[in-house]
Amino acid sequence: MNTIHIESLLKKVEKPGRYIGGEFNEIRKDHAAAGTTFAFAFPDLYEIGMSYMGMQILYNIINHEESLLCERVFAPAVDMEQLMRAQGVPLFALESKTPVREFDVLGFTLQYEMSFTNMLNMLDLAGIPLHADERGADVPLIIAGGPCAYDPEPLADFVDAFLVGDGEETLPAFLKLYGDCKAAGKSREAFLQEAVKIQGVYVPCFYEPVYHEDGTLKEVRKLYDGAPDRVRKALVQELDLAEYPVKPLVPMIEIVQDRAVVELFRGCTRGCRFCQAGMIYRPVRERSPEKIFGIADQVTKNTGQDEMTLLSLSTSDYSHFEEMATNLIDLCTERHVGLSLPSLRLDSFSFKVLNEIQKYRKSGLTFAPEAGTQRLRNVINKNITEENIFSSVRQAIELGWKHIKFYFMMGLPGETLEDLDGIADIAERVMQLNREMHVAGSSRFNVTVSVSNFVPKAHTPFQWAPQDADFTEKHDYLSAKMKIKGVSFHYHDDPVSRLEAVFARGDRRTGYFLEQAWKNGCKFDSWSENYSAEGWQKAEDAFREKYGYGTDFYRTRERSYDEVLPWDIIDCGVSKAFLMREMEKAKQAVTTDDCRIRCNGCGVNTWAECPLEGIHG
Amino acid sequence: MARYYLVFSKAGYAVYTSHLDMQRFFKRAFARAEIELAFSNGFNPHPKMSFAQPLSLGYSSKSEYLEFQTKEELSADSIREKLSAVMPEGIDILRCEQLPDSGKSLAAMCVAASYRIFIRWDEQEMGCKASAFDMRGFLDQKEILVLKRMKKKKEPKEIDIKGKIREIEWAAQDDIIIMSTELDAGSDSNLSPDLLIQAIGRYAGVTIPPENVEISRVDMKLEGLGK
Repeated sequence: MNTIHIESLLKKVEKPGRYIGGEFNEIRKDHAAAGTTFAFAFPDLYEIGMSYMGMQILYNIINHEESLLCERVFAPAVDMEQLMRAQGVPLFALESKTPVREFDVLGFTLQYEMSFTNMLNMLDLAGIPLHADERGADVPLIIAGGPCAYDPEPLADFVDAFLVGDGEETLPAFLKLYGDCKAAGKSREAFLQEAVKIQGVYVPCFYEPVYHEDGTLKEVRKLYDGAPDRVRKALVQELDLAEYPVKPLVPMIEIVQDRAVVELFRGCTRGCRFCQAGMIYRPVRERSPEKIFGIADQVTKNTGQDEMTLLSLSTSDYSHFEEMATNLIDLCTERHVGLSLPSLRLDSFSFKVLNEIQKYRKSGLTFAPEAGTQRLRNVINKNITEENIFSSVRQAIELGWKHIKFYFMMGLPGETLEDLDGIADIAERVMQLNREMHVAGSSRFNVTVSVSNFVPKAHTPFQWAPQDADFTEKHDYLSAKMKIKGVSFHYHDDPVSRLEAVFARGDRRTGYFLEQAWKNGCKFDSWSENYSAEGWQKAEDAFREKYGYGTDFYRTRERSYDEVLPWDIIDCGVSKAFLMREMEKAKQAVTTDDCRIRCNGCGVNTWAECPLEGIHG
Repeated sequence: MARYYLVFSKAGYAVYTSHLDMQRFFKRAFARAEIELAFSNGFNPHPKMSFAQPLSLGYSSKSEYLEFQTKEELSADSIREKLSAVMPEGIDILRCEQLPDSGKSLAAMCVAASYRIFIRWDEQEMGCKASAFDMRGFLDQKEILVLKRMKKKKEPKEIDIKGKIREIEWAAQDDIIIMSTELDAGSDSNLSPDLLIQAIGRYAGVTIPPENVEISRVDMKLEGLGK
């Protein structure tokens, strides 16, 4: 094992703390004693990657396996990369400073599409050929997981195996099998043939897409008979039995989410039609209140962190929310730990809780109606009414909140200008309500409205829907309406939303678009100072040159129900028939109940246990 | 309430943890050690804990001072033991002592700090051999001028640092200059070793790149602190 000397680089970079490791609770193991060495890569900066709980979960589980070793690696910032390239320093792992190239397996977690260029850049910095078919056994096996693995095709040429779904059981099983095959002297190919027997493992080179002349998929041909027809996601059915890191790493430098994190549950029963997380993490699986309290107790002790937050898609949907919140507030008060409860539904109990934990400093309250009119909220199945919003806002103003944030989306299927007017109308009326209520300090009251651009995602009812060709006109329209005193208005730039839409529903060909962009210097694309419009435009030209059509093909085209979709190879657990029914209901602006009221037949309970279906029915 | 100070060292990769990060780090370390710090009053209470002197990013140290107040009186030894158990690699607790309940802060007591400085002296880059550099001449200048970036102002200002250099010993070996120096360090008069390096470079007519310099704080002079 070689280690790399980085001291001379550290003196020259802006934030050397990103590259040193050595945090409290770091785990270091002997490379020589490990059956499989695994480098876990997050394709973004340290501060972002370290804020991601999934990495801490898997780091802990893998390192607790005797035969396995896991170290971390992040994308170096631009200044560090320049020095590394100039001095020939390859990408290294934080724990032992071993070059990533010397690990057995290198795994990327794919949390958002705009980190794809960073993944290619990291492979290159590690001295690893980008294409799977150009790699030999002298470089690590490249694997990937995370939500973007649910449409793996844009990265299929670069990745040897995708691990789809919960990683707690799959990843250690996969790595152990790798170690066994290595010890037995088996080839990579032989290992991959074994590995596809593990639920959730998709090996792209075992499949070959066949296209129609118009660029749509005709079929996907299987090249190895033993590979599954469709790859079903891996699922941890009992969250209480899954190991949770109660001794997480405590970064020395400040990271984006610098606090203790306790995961409440996975999945969501609300069924918002735009939401990928709400579909792919089904069924809802909750941790028990005892387990949650135990984790909170230990994590705060073992990290000394003075802030704690809860992780789930919708905090107040937790079955034992009141009991859990009351107990955690007591624990946190006793230990001088600040507690934050994200994504609360604002009922009277929530207000009581919030008033308690934000006694002195009331941060903003956040609402996510997502759409400006009831009709459009019905289309997207966001079951929040104007009455809900305004009665909550009224209470918030009464209790002394001075800042309210609203999140909306633009470009949702079936959107009209009336729906955009609705956004401005809500903001206007909230300000009006504040004026009428005459509470102390009402002149300081303000509202923030953030509008993001809708990106249709795979495995959602809107997976067939087009993205708006251009958001600029709508942005201008809404900007003009949002000149309201006390209201600040933010929207996202469209170029990044457009690229997201290409890769969120891309096929294997879009890998070429990605690679061209990376060759043109594109990386850290979601950071506006790094975004290279020219690099992406040249990639677009190259793509069109090669395939005869542009990438709008993936973005602005409405797909038909009978089209073979690139991500059909992945079985996320929810049936296509359900997604179609939901899409049809969307067209008629008809809502679907929360799964807790009645089972809506999404299909997940045909193969997994769905403990919360119909409990409120 | 009881008042203490501790002395710790910083080495290895931990030297790349900034002063601000060290504050957050110790706050968490006390919590991990289950030592309850006393908090200030007010709407935004913060723990009573402060460093005698900040340490620049990239410097190692054998002697950093941190004072703090705990809610309850504990033995200084038990504090040292509990904290030692929750330190990451590179940060070691050397000792812990109780302080009188009231009195000057360590920051107010601090007047000077001593450093060991290594400069990698590349003959080609620097224009002369390490042994040929006229350190005496450098020190005997009537004024030793450097450019210092002043707080709030954009333009750096020229200042004379001669009076802030208390002691300096040096030796040249092959391509290295090793210095032991004591510099003013405190609220009345302060000199960062970085400025001393800048002045040496200026005298030699070159800019000494930061990666050629290693700086380690060896000790701190705290007037009125019984050691």
